[in-house]
Amino acid sequence: MDLRFAPWPAGIEPAVPIEGYPNTFTHTPAAPPVIRPLTRTERTAPRSLHLKLPCGDENLAVMGPGRMAQGQLIHIAGRVLDEDGRGIAHAVVELWQANAGGRYRHPIDTRDAPLDPNFVGNGRVLTDAHGHYAFFTIKPGAYPVPVPATWWRPPHVHFSVLGPATLSRLVTQMYFPGDPLNGYDRILQSVPDAAARDRLVARMLPPVEAGPGWLGFHHDIVLRGRLATPVLP
Amino acid sequence: MKREHDDGRGIAPGDDGFAIAPMSEHTIGPFFPQNFFRAGDNDLRRRTPDAAPSARGQAITLHGLVLRQGGTPCVNMVLEAWQPDAAGRFDHPADPEAHLADPDFLGWGRAWTDAEGRYSFITLMPGGYDDRAPHINLAIMGAGLMRTARTTVFFPGDHAADPVMQAVPPAARPRLVARPDGEHRFRFDVILHGDAATETPFFQD
Ligand SMILES: [Fe+3]
Repeated sequence: MDLRFAPWPAGIEPAVPIEGYPNTFTHTPAAPPVIRPLTRTERTAPRSLHLKLPCGDENLAVMGPGRMAQGQLIHIAGRVLDEDGRGIAHAVVELWQANAGGRYRHPIDTRDAPLDPNFVGNGRVLTDAHGHYAFFTIKPGAYPVPVPATWWRPPHVHFSVLGPATLSRLVTQMYFPGDPLNGYDRILQSVPDAAARDRLVARMLPPVEAGPGWLGFHHDIVLRGRLATPVLP
Repeated sequence: MKREHDDGRGIAPGDDGFAIAPMSEHTIGPFFPQNFFRAGDNDLRRRTPDAAPSARGQAITLHGLVLRQGGTPCVNMVLEAWQPDAAGRFDHPADPEAHLADPDFLGWGRAWTDAEGRYSFITLMPGGYDDRAPHINLAIMGAGLMRTARTTVFFPGDHAADPVMQAVPPAARPRLVARPDGEHRFRFDVILHGDAATETPFFQD
């Protein structure tokens, strides 16, 4: 067996479709996925993708001098890792989120929560040689999902990570520790394994470690593909 | 075995020692930022938004619709394409002929569907390699899709011996072949959810 892309461990992938989330019934493929041999196309990905997708917007909270976003200033940092815990160098990490009032700056989000003129809410960075990434931002607000069985999304941050193979491409979300809405979120709770859910929740740094001004959160992101990341020299 | 950056969470014994389980996939949701897209992102021939497109091959357009249950178009779906160059090579260490790969061709692009559910990519006709027929891998993400949907687009011609095509039930294989749609244009509709005779085959990732 090729361990580079061993099957997902049980309980980690969300169980779909999700009761109360109607779009998962109309969008999720009905047929079980076809198991294919993994060839070069699946195991590779573009190198130097940051030339195509410019990176470097790591500060979402400050638009310019005197233009601070509203909300609790936070710092999110961690590493992008492979399944052996090795940092993935030069992965493209995209982050987007709602503002402190729970609204996205996106034409589709027409909810009557206020927009913040000083908050756009997305950024893209490149991990360093050891897989480290970091963002300065604000803590997003919760927002309701407009479906018949309304539920509220807890404060969360969306992550999109492009790593060393297209098969290790990961789209996921990060949650905040201790939020009472976490236990009610249909999306977070669709992950069957409690430990897997727990790893989607960031760890708050002791304030003395984070330093003044910003509340710090640590969050590591683990991609699939154990042998697809070259060992660093 | 204690790892250097082990913070004590998520470590479980794996097949070959201690490994960290990968993170759960989630939907990309309806609000993937529009300013993450730039003109030329859907052009696989360009290494950078401003670079001249590679001309080492036949330029083609791959376009189509993304549809959900009932044949309803899906808006704001994100599609990512990945393929070898026109000679079937990747600029990647896993390719033994990487040093011969087209230096101007990226082979990766991102598109999103408009209000009618349409997407399009501009690229070069991929070359085959080893036992692989010419193909483009697509990853499809969007609201309602908790897991990324992955499929492979083939082109009219000889793909009967392709090992990925052979993994697909024979009746579904024609649904992985783009159909000619004008000069150097190919159409490939992605049917995320349909009946057994229409749904696009997707692959386990
Ligand atoms: Fe969200």
